[in-house]
Amino acid sequence: MNKANIGQKLLLGEFIKGLWRENPTFRIVLGLCPTLAVSTSITNGIGMGIAATFVLLGSNIFVSLIRNIVPEKVRIPCYIVVIATFVTIVDLFMKAFTPLLSRSLGMFVPLIVVNCIVLGRAEVFSSKEPPLKSILDALGMGLGFTWALILISTIREFLGNGTILGFYVSKTFEPALFMILAPGALLTIGILIGLLNYFTIKRK
Amino acid sequence: MNQLVRFGIVLGFICLAATFVLAVTYEITKPRIDAELKKEEEDALKTIMPDADSFKEKSIEGIKYFDVFKKDDLIGYCIRATGNGYNGYIRMIVGIDTDGIIKGIKILEQYETPGLGARIVEIKRGDKEPHFLKQFVGKSAKTVEVKKDIDAITGATISSKAVTDTVNKTVNEFLTKIK
Repeated sequence: MNKANIGQKLLLGEFIKGLWRENPTFRIVLGLCPTLAVSTSITNGIGMGIAATFVLLGSNIFVSLIRNIVPEKVRIPCYIVVIATFVTIVDLFMKAFTPLLSRSLGMFVPLIVVNCIVLGRAEVFSSKEPPLKSILDALGMGLGFTWALILISTIREFLGNGTILGFYVSKTFEPALFMILAPGALLTIGILIGLLNYFTIKRK
Repeated sequence: MNQLVRFGIVLGFICLAATFVLAVTYEITKPRIDAELKKEEEDALKTIMPDADSFKEKSIEGIKYFDVFKKDDLIGYCIRATGNGYNGYIRMIVGIDTDGIIKGIKILEQYETPGLGARIVEIKRGDKEPHFLKQFVGKSAKTVEVKKDIDAITGATISSKAVTDTVNKTVNEFLTKIK
């Protein structure tokens, strides 16, 4: 009974760590390229987050399943093939069922292939751990990436475009265009990481 | 050597499985993707030419266009045009009447900078059509020019000029070919 409890706690830990302690955007600082590019609107942020989570889930499961048959020396090409397959599936399905979102994310869906979060998890986690743990890890990391994207894109969409989820919030607020361009993204991410570090370090 | 063969087999097997999965996904999604593109184009044609009854797809020396009919009379053309914007291509449909006067423009695909160039498709509160594209209606496609006929979007001269030049160039090419 006790052992099972500890086991469950460990599994839960694999899920929770991606949300906060090892958050891919704010803590490990991986996958910044798509984060900078697509966090211009909340819809884009959510879309990218879900797409990346699906790819992470698929690649983590398969990399974990084939972890014992893949030889050490050719593991990277093997992982890339698995990841690219899932990315293409996501891309095709998005084109078919959410054409508008697929268009506004544009090139960044195919580019999930080189998103370092996905390859990073394959390399440091799922290539060494069993499928169940890998699934939880993927979900945690994916959700962590998604909430980070939503937070950043909410700030940028409001300050840069004056809207939240496409609706105008205030009639008198004059948006600052540069927040929606690349410098705005760098500033937002930098300040957020700074604030997070400031508060977590102080608490200790 | 032995090891090399094993590497090849493992990698080859993974690639084979991936190819199979992708082939299946492609076959499943293709009809749906084609239908979406077609629907988008049909919607565009109807907004550009609201009085038209039917469209007939044609092509002349590489330019794809639609003959636009009202009952049985030819009232104009809708031409597919692609031009180079600031970040990538801009794909659109240009509707003209038989005299070359612009009836409407619809942008189907563009990758301009959000907040700047992408305002070529921005729709103001309470409007139905993008304010930039509305300027084109009623102008002669043969001579249309930025500054003279069209006010460029502030900070997005390249995108504004790209749309205008594409309309101008494609329509002129089309009109010389069709005569």
